[in-house]
Amino acid sequence: MISRIIRLGNPQLRIFRPSWFLTLVRPGKEQPQDTVQFRIPMEMTKYDVKNYLEKIYNVPVGVVRTRIQFGSNKKRNHLNQKVKQPDYKVAYVQLALGQTFTFPDIFPEKERAPAEGSMEEMQEKFMEDEKQRQKLDPRRGGVTEWFGL
Amino acid sequence: MAASSSTGRVLTLCKQFQNVFRISSATNARQRAVSSAKCQTSLLRGTSPIVTPSWSNPISSAGQYRALHTTISRRGLEDFFDSPENWGEANVKSGAPWTAKQLRTKSNEDLHKLWYVLLKEKNMLLTLEQEAKRQRVQMPSPERLRKVERSMIRLETVVKERENALRLLQTGQEKGRPGAWRRNIFGYVYWYRFKEYAIPWYMNRRYKRKRFYTPKFVEPHIRLRIENYLRERARNENLKKRRLAKLQERFPQIKAPAS
Repeated sequence: MISRIIRLGNPQLRIFRPSWFLTLVRPGKEQPQDTVQFRIPMEMTKYDVKNYLEKIYNVPVGVVRTRIQFGSNKKRNHLNQKVKQPDYKVAYVQLALGQTFTFPDIFPEKERAPAEGSMEEMQEKFMEDEKQRQKLDPRRGGVTEWFGL
Repeated sequence: MAASSSTGRVLTLCKQFQNVFRISSATNARQRAVSSAKCQTSLLRGTSPIVTPSWSNPISSAGQYRALHTTISRRGLEDFFDSPENWGEANVKSGAPWTAKQLRTKSNEDLHKLWYVLLKEKNMLLTLEQEAKRQRVQMPSPERLRKVERSMIRLETVVKERENALRLLQTGQEKGRPGAWRRNIFGYVYWYRFKEYAIPWYMNRRYKRKRFYTPKFVEPHIRLRIENYLRERARNENLKKRRLAKLQERFPQIKAPAS
């Protein structure tokens, strides 16, 4: 419970060990170069996001704008009950000092040789053998079996 | 980015690392290539902060001070992603989660820093999970998320224990947040935890609508509830006895379980 009674003269609200987690997401729509998109918990505010990023991640933050995304309640399950997708808050953070950010490609295609003696290796060998068997006689020069004697 | 930090994430997350646990600032504890063995004994680089007693304190010109300097991480938003060597891997190795027993040996500053390490790790994993859903690819090693969560929960319990003990010793208060036993409208007695309001309770309309007493017309319903509860309890006990009797009849040699 974090009580947010804010009155003049109170000590500044501080949270030790914040249990708020931000998720950096790839923007659905095209965003300007300096804008980073986050999914934040509903209880966070713009100032919370700014302080969070500045203090914990050392990121110079300019402006933060937030909105709440409504999760659809339209889908129905096999019992015809409505299933609610959770709501979430989205924060658009603009970086200060002219910094830019592009969302990187985290799942690049990697050449991986399967481990020795593993299932993948056996499967790949089998597939290669099958393909070799299906190939036509190379001496026929690409002509199918339909022609000829 | 190129300057690798001293403390790999595997150090902070892997429990085998207790005796070589080096604390770095919250911003610095990014894990580097985890592709090596589970509990690698990576050596510390020169700039790493060390809290072990063997570290000799550098004496500044201004005077002697306990300089626990930590290398500041210059990587901002990159902390939301894994190290680039792990991008595209199917499995990323990670150590065991922290147990409460190990966490109790750590000092408060260490726990505070560890919390932020775990926080950043969890942020990274959540980012990865969301991106994997977006690209419709499997997230590599999702069990890391659960390990981090468990570590954080245990850390929280340890910190709460310490705060509890301190409060008991200093003030004699058992609970940090004041509360009282109250009866609600339905006749249930429960521990109501006080909430902080800006106005007194007699001016608070929503609070007054809550009614911490049971009206007279609810009492017959409470009686019916008690009757149901007793009936169900009797039914369960009878069922157990009948089951046991039936088993005894079929297998006369078995001994009744002690329950």
